[in-house]
Amino acid sequence: MDDLTKVSFTNLEKILFPALDLNKSRVIEYYIRIAPLMLGSLKNRVIVMNRYPDGVNKDGFYEKDAPKGIPQWVYTFNTYSEKAHREIDYVVCNDLDTLLWMANLAALEINITLSTIDKYDTPDLVFFDIDPEPPCSFDDVIDIALLLKEKLDELNLRSFVKTSGKKGLHVVLPITDNYNFKQTREYVHQFGKFLARESDIVVSEFRNSRDPGTIFIDYLQNTRGKTMIAPYSLRAQPQATVSTPLEWRELKKGLRPEEFNIFTVIQRKNDPWEGLMESKQSLEVE
Amino acid sequence: MKNIKDSAKPSHRPVWSGSITIGLVNVPVKLYIMIRDQAFSFRLLHKEDGQPLKYERVCVKEDKVVDWKDTVKGYEVRKDEFIVFKKEELDAIRPESDTRIRLDKFVSLLSIDPIYFDNSYILVPDRSEEAYSLMMTVIAQMGKAGMGKVTMRTKEYPVVVHEYRGALILTTLRYANEVVNPSGMEELSQLKKPGKKEMELAEKIIKDLSGEFDINEYRDGYREKMEKLIETKMKGEVVVAQVPKKEEVKELMVALQETIKRLKK
Repeated sequence: MDDLTKVSFTNLEKILFPALDLNKSRVIEYYIRIAPLMLGSLKNRVIVMNRYPDGVNKDGFYEKDAPKGIPQWVYTFNTYSEKAHREIDYVVCNDLDTLLWMANLAALEINITLSTIDKYDTPDLVFFDIDPEPPCSFDDVIDIALLLKEKLDELNLRSFVKTSGKKGLHVVLPITDNYNFKQTREYVHQFGKFLARESDIVVSEFRNSRDPGTIFIDYLQNTRGKTMIAPYSLRAQPQATVSTPLEWRELKKGLRPEEFNIFTVIQRKNDPWEGLMESKQSLEVE
Repeated sequence: MKNIKDSAKPSHRPVWSGSITIGLVNVPVKLYIMIRDQAFSFRLLHKEDGQPLKYERVCVKEDKVVDWKDTVKGYEVRKDEFIVFKKEELDAIRPESDTRIRLDKFVSLLSIDPIYFDNSYILVPDRSEEAYSLMMTVIAQMGKAGMGKVTMRTKEYPVVVHEYRGALILTTLRYANEVVNPSGMEELSQLKKPGKKEMELAEKIIKDLSGEFDINEYRDGYREKMEKLIETKMKGEVVVAQVPKKEEVKELMVALQETIKRLKK
């Protein structure tokens, strides 16, 4: 396709977001336009794609293994998967062409690991998944996120926040390479317990995570090979929402996660997560 | 006996079954394909959208597509002049497919000129192991091949049956009128007899280059290149099932140009 990309785009008219009448070419265009903000956080990380070849109203599928017919120029990383009990070739997205190749596969949701392939067993991100259960409102989620930030600020830790693209918020701490996943998992779990003491609506344990009207501080993704939705990834939601990095000051009551979607996010000029990878910090853990 | 390194894979189903008959002797056999053409075949696609093309029968006068059921066969006697045949007329003279390979003569295998060989099939015993083995062993030991004929798929062929690598092989032959006789060719009628010295020199060259026949010394270089090319293409590009509308692509290219500019900063 000209000299601009190695990818041959196919099935561009396929409708992927029926409620908005958005076809695949709009999805590819989104990823083209968001690439300058997005590529940095994908770099050297294992990618797990959620593909929706028949659109968001039909079932999608996870794709961990590099799919059949993968172009030679797509970089892959081979490692053992505990879950699959075998070695897997994972896709790594370090350039625009790979991102567009994934977009062309209708990989609407792009997930990344919390470690890089240089040190796959050592997390470089701590991930707090603030996950509400109805009838909790997004205002409640903002309250809890700000409470968490306050606590992290007290510890002199710089934290970064993004919408999940669904109902929750994600808070991330970039860390130095002195910790293992067990420690980061426990670290987040401890914060969950602390927040549960501070707030009636927070639950810290997985068994309570589906209790109505609660907010679960999900620590379980802090595990080797597990992923979070990448910053600026689309979500397979009817409104084509985006998991959007925000400035902390943007978190104000009345904000709705649907405001950050395929149409609005490409208007954002600055990346609130810029400099995240240069802000590695030490944690105080036992 | 040398191994055939790159031999083609055997097929699972026989193409024909019947028996070899020599007078009243009867050896039931099944016939398997032996020769596999390894040529690549391409589908013809529409250049613009990559979709496969179909062939249609178009009447040259009306320029209209004609159904199969509205066709008859014609034999062209002179250019654009045809004798028309009905299906029944053609069926009436067509030989019936036979279930017998009738052998009536045994000749020395080496006396058959390879010019006449057409296509070969492997014969395997069809619950007739004893008779099959006897026939194979005896003709192999005597260096003989059985001559005869068979009718397959409504065509009658002269055939030869011989032993090869522990199997009986049936080879269909060309009819005499299918093979051009070279002695009538003008360029060949004025050949001079070579001199003694030249003969000696040529004999020496040939002796120096003499060796055993080994088909494995020859490789289909084009095929190997083609296989490699197909492999790389399959890795490199998703097969284009449907090519996008032009305007859609144009919009994406504009966005791409902007993004590439931003990424270079």
